[in-house]
Amino acid sequence: MRLTKGYDRWVIFFAFALAACGPSQPNDTDSSSVIYITNDVPAGLDYDGAASVIPNSQEGIVNLMDPLIDYAPGETTEEGVGLLNFTSFEGRLAESWSFDEATLTWTFNLRRGVKSCVGNELTADDVIYTFARAKSVSGPSPTGWFLANVASIESFDATVLADENLRGLGDEVKKIDDYTVEIRQSTHNQLFLPALTTFAIRIFDSVEARKHATPSDPWSHDYINNVTAPAFGPYCVERWEKGNEFVLRANPQYYRGVPEIDRVVFKKVPQSSNRFIILRMEQADITKGLTPREFKKLREYDQLQVVGVTGNETLFVHMNFDSPPFDQVKVRQAVAAALPYNWIIKNGYIGQAQIWDGLVPSSYPGGKSTFHDSPEGLDVARQLLAEAGYPEGRGLEVYEDALRLSYPIEKEAILGPIATAIRTALRDIGMPVELDPIPLTQYGDRQLVKKDLPFALVDHEKAIVVDAGYAVQLFFVSSEAGAVNNMVNYRNSRVDDLWTEARAERDSERRYNLVSEIYDYLRDDVVWLPVVEYRTQWATRKGLKGFVWYPDNGIRFADLSYAR
Amino acid sequence: MTDVAVEKDQDSLGVLAWIGIGIVSVAIFLAVFSPWLIPYDPTQATENVSTPPPPLSAWPSLFWQTIVGDGPTPHWFGTDASGLDVFSRTIEATRTDLIIALSANIVSVIIGVSLGVISGYFRNIWTETLLRTSDLLQSFPVFITAMILVALAGRSWVNIVLAMSFLYAPIYLRLTRTEVLALRDRSFIEAARALGKTEFGIARQHILPNAIGPSLIQFSVTIGFAILLTAGLSFVGAGVRPPTPEWGSMIATGATQLVLGDWWPSLFPGIAISVTVFGFAVCGHILEKRYGR
Amino acid sequence: MIWRFTLRRLAVGLVQLSVLIVAVFFLIRLLPADPVSRFVGLNASPEAYALAEQSLGLDLPALEQFEVFLFGDDEEVGLVGGELGTSWVTGSSVNQEIRQYLPVTLELITLSFLIAVGLGVPIGVLGAVNPGGAADKGTLIYGLFAGSQPEFSWGIIFIFVFFVVLGIAPGPLGRLSPLTDPPDFVTGAITIDALLAGRVDIFLEALWYLSLPILTLSFVLSGPIIKMVRENVAQTMNADFMFYGQAAGLPRGILARDALRAAFAPALTLIGILFGFMIGGAVLIESIFSISGLGQYAIRSILAFDYPAIQGVVLTISALTLLIYLAIDVCQALLDPRVSV
Repeated sequence: MRLTKGYDRWVIFFAFALAACGPSQPNDTDSSSVIYITNDVPAGLDYDGAASVIPNSQEGIVNLMDPLIDYAPGETTEEGVGLLNFTSFEGRLAESWSFDEATLTWTFNLRRGVKSCVGNELTADDVIYTFARAKSVSGPSPTGWFLANVASIESFDATVLADENLRGLGDEVKKIDDYTVEIRQSTHNQLFLPALTTFAIRIFDSVEARKHATPSDPWSHDYINNVTAPAFGPYCVERWEKGNEFVLRANPQYYRGVPEIDRVVFKKVPQSSNRFIILRMEQADITKGLTPREFKKLREYDQLQVVGVTGNETLFVHMNFDSPPFDQVKVRQAVAAALPYNWIIKNGYIGQAQIWDGLVPSSYPGGKSTFHDSPEGLDVARQLLAEAGYPEGRGLEVYEDALRLSYPIEKEAILGPIATAIRTALRDIGMPVELDPIPLTQYGDRQLVKKDLPFALVDHEKAIVVDAGYAVQLFFVSSEAGAVNNMVNYRNSRVDDLWTEARAERDSERRYNLVSEIYDYLRDDVVWLPVVEYRTQWATRKGLKGFVWYPDNGIRFADLSYAR
Repeated sequence: MTDVAVEKDQDSLGVLAWIGIGIVSVAIFLAVFSPWLIPYDPTQATENVSTPPPPLSAWPSLFWQTIVGDGPTPHWFGTDASGLDVFSRTIEATRTDLIIALSANIVSVIIGVSLGVISGYFRNIWTETLLRTSDLLQSFPVFITAMILVALAGRSWVNIVLAMSFLYAPIYLRLTRTEVLALRDRSFIEAARALGKTEFGIARQHILPNAIGPSLIQFSVTIGFAILLTAGLSFVGAGVRPPTPEWGSMIATGATQLVLGDWWPSLFPGIAISVTVFGFAVCGHILEKRYGR
Repeated sequence: MIWRFTLRRLAVGLVQLSVLIVAVFFLIRLLPADPVSRFVGLNASPEAYALAEQSLGLDLPALEQFEVFLFGDDEEVGLVGGELGTSWVTGSSVNQEIRQYLPVTLELITLSFLIAVGLGVPIGVLGAVNPGGAADKGTLIYGLFAGSQPEFSWGIIFIFVFFVVLGIAPGPLGRLSPLTDPPDFVTGAITIDALLAGRVDIFLEALWYLSLPILTLSFVLSGPIIKMVRENVAQTMNADFMFYGQAAGLPRGILARDALRAAFAPALTLIGILFGFMIGGAVLIESIFSISGLGQYAIRSILAFDYPAIQGVVLTISALTLLIYLAIDVCQALLDPRVSV
């Protein structure tokens, strides 16, 4: 007992002694190192691994691995955020490329002298390894295969999943010489180049990756998922403690020049309010994923800045065609008319959002923007509900289960108030709506696999391939016609036909018209109810500049620099 | 020999006892009559988001205005980020939290005490198994298990009550059993037996009323724990569904406002829960002093 | 005698543990969401779903899954071999992850207990030696109050007051400044590892960063400890041997020491139970102060429906708790042989 007491006194003494020194230590950052606080650090670095569906993991991957090509830089916003030019591509690991229409073959000429983190040089073997690995579908979540499939690379189709014998790489991806690779498509498809820019099918350092293969794990999933993704990107993993910290060090041999920010410390701080105060106290350099009110407050401090861009983050309401009463178009229209759009923009997003007038982010090329042209308001909504056969909401009591508005519980801080406002408005017109926040995993299961979520508020769904048609293929054609994520069970054979036609269309103008026609149907049927596009924001210390917005919303730290 | 200390304790407890009883009575009063006491619908979003409470100096005149019905009722405790009235929610939450805590305890007392009497009175392989199972339940991490159970069954107050009963019943079982063990060989039980009463009849008529005491004392303490657990579950998003007013979820959502300088959405429910649980703890302590041992 | 008691107690513990394993395994499989969905991610086609289900082993019937969990398959050795499986979220071994997260939680609550006991015992004794006095009343009220407080609420208040308003405490950044390189992983408890590495500066920094969560936890824990010490000491002070001591003219300090010794057994029980409770009960404090301990791991695993990880956490905590209970029983049997009969 006496011993314990002595020890305690000691601890308290030091606690006070340190308190007297004040929280000075963490402030001494040098300009070549940044602390990035985030809701979670990468959970795995293998894009074919289970963790790759988590945006935090993707953010790790894109800083370690480079793609063959990427979008060319576009305009810079007033706040200094760089945008991409989604109609123009430039080489990354590939120096140049060409396309032969007749044989549907792309030829990539690789850059010479590109060195990986461990110093291996990039060759055609690395590209071959990457595609062979994707086609092996040996990881639990074969995203590399999926995007190759979206790009219509030959024989990367669904038969690969079903039949083990079809998982070897044939000559659809072929090494011509050490610095030349050919990739053949099965059909004409404009999604080929956009798919190559995504976080998946980025190129591995095959020499290093192979070193960590084992007989039971020939594609080194364990190593890549838990240690590092060996590749040719701007950063290398210095330290990684899952669920806590992820530290990157600049690749000293990076082919586009050594990044100015030499060291990036990703630190997990799960609560957004904690991230807010830490940044406010200047104990970190960058954060994102704060609530709109927290971002607004940070703008008030001189030492800090908030930059943002209306990118591809959107909020929409999901109403399932298989769950009555949402099978009735009038009910869907009534909901559309009743939503408190102004409340959501003003109080939910504190002005950092705008009405989403289409189903394609306004920063993407293509798509309609006439979704909110019909009259709106509570009276219109009451009228529509009466026309649907539920005057004053009478008769809706039997649909108690369908009238539960779900949203991911992880988003409570932002979506909670919005859902409460929607509930209030819908109750006002007589719809007895209750709220039902559920964990993201359960949400994903019901939305993607079971497709039985009746009514939901979605703010995390984004099409990472920048193309209006990609969203149609992913979300809106019927499941029979190949949509993998038709979460509302929408079936319209006319839409299916139009997409089949548009998909193979070589002429951009005609393809655009076909896709536009599809969006007319989507609007008239209220397939999704687009609500707002909200700004993607980052809060940083003053002086940190060079942010570029990418469709996966991950920060590329190589773009950043400190102006002191 | 312990009487001296107990009496001294009671003297020193005078004021404290009244405070405890007062707190509990007020909480029960608010829980019963909340629909008639609250000025605003506690779940209806409004345009007045994040308005601070009126300054204390303005309270007397505002109070007068409200009584004479001049102008809208002020938001005494301000409003939260959804424009909900914090005062109405804090009061209405008393009802939510007390109903959950009370129901959970009543269910656990019923289960725990009856199983406790059985396992104490009839001692065989089955009751031994029962006892070990209940030990096992007590070794479960309470909070994590409650989260899993709520995830399993869905977020409704009934499921939260069931999950908690599952976790609290073993406490009552233990307490009752210990008491029964002391009672079963006492002379009045022997007498009843000699009178030809059935074993079950004895257990019900003579053992149960005498063995329930410690459980009733425990009741008051466990209600406090149950309120804390309900609030804790809501805090990590496994409690009642929003926007049902509940202290834990109010504190959780309010905590995000705290750093922005909006102290009111979390402070008032925080005070409410601190004071209420304290009140129940004091009552438990007094019951223990008076009737325990 | 004591050995037989211990062995019997241990046997019962093992049976309990086996029941626990079965219960946890099947309970989790009743969860309402299908974890496969998170694997298919972008591509929810039936083929991809089947592939993912197969790779998780979820296509097998439940009993066969249980067999794999117990005895392993060609890749893993299973629970019998001491392996809890592979986390579905991170792909790492659950053993390794628990090895990483458990010491964090243990460190946090051990330090908090040291403070709570170190302050609680003298305060409780102070209250008991002057029954009815102002100190006694104050101790009683403090004990009742602190013991009934929601720790999450106070954690938030402490951050607000000490970090945001006064600026004299570290932010909720976990155990170290993000800029500091942690010492080599030996025990996993950062204070111990720092001392092992000879880095007193890191040791002090860790104490500094842990000061607020420890303050919060020890505040809440000190309540029941103070209350219990006060009552037990007061009770033993009134015991016959104390009256004898008083009559013999022994000084009060010595009397209090004797009383404290007599109150030791119940204190041990309470602290043991509280400690077992806190291993799984530090969840809220960990999440408020961004400490990646076992509780955070549990929340993450439950929200992600990561079956192997949930099983691992629940089993670890329950096994530890059972072990603590066993230790308490054995200690009590040693102190008071009547218990073991």
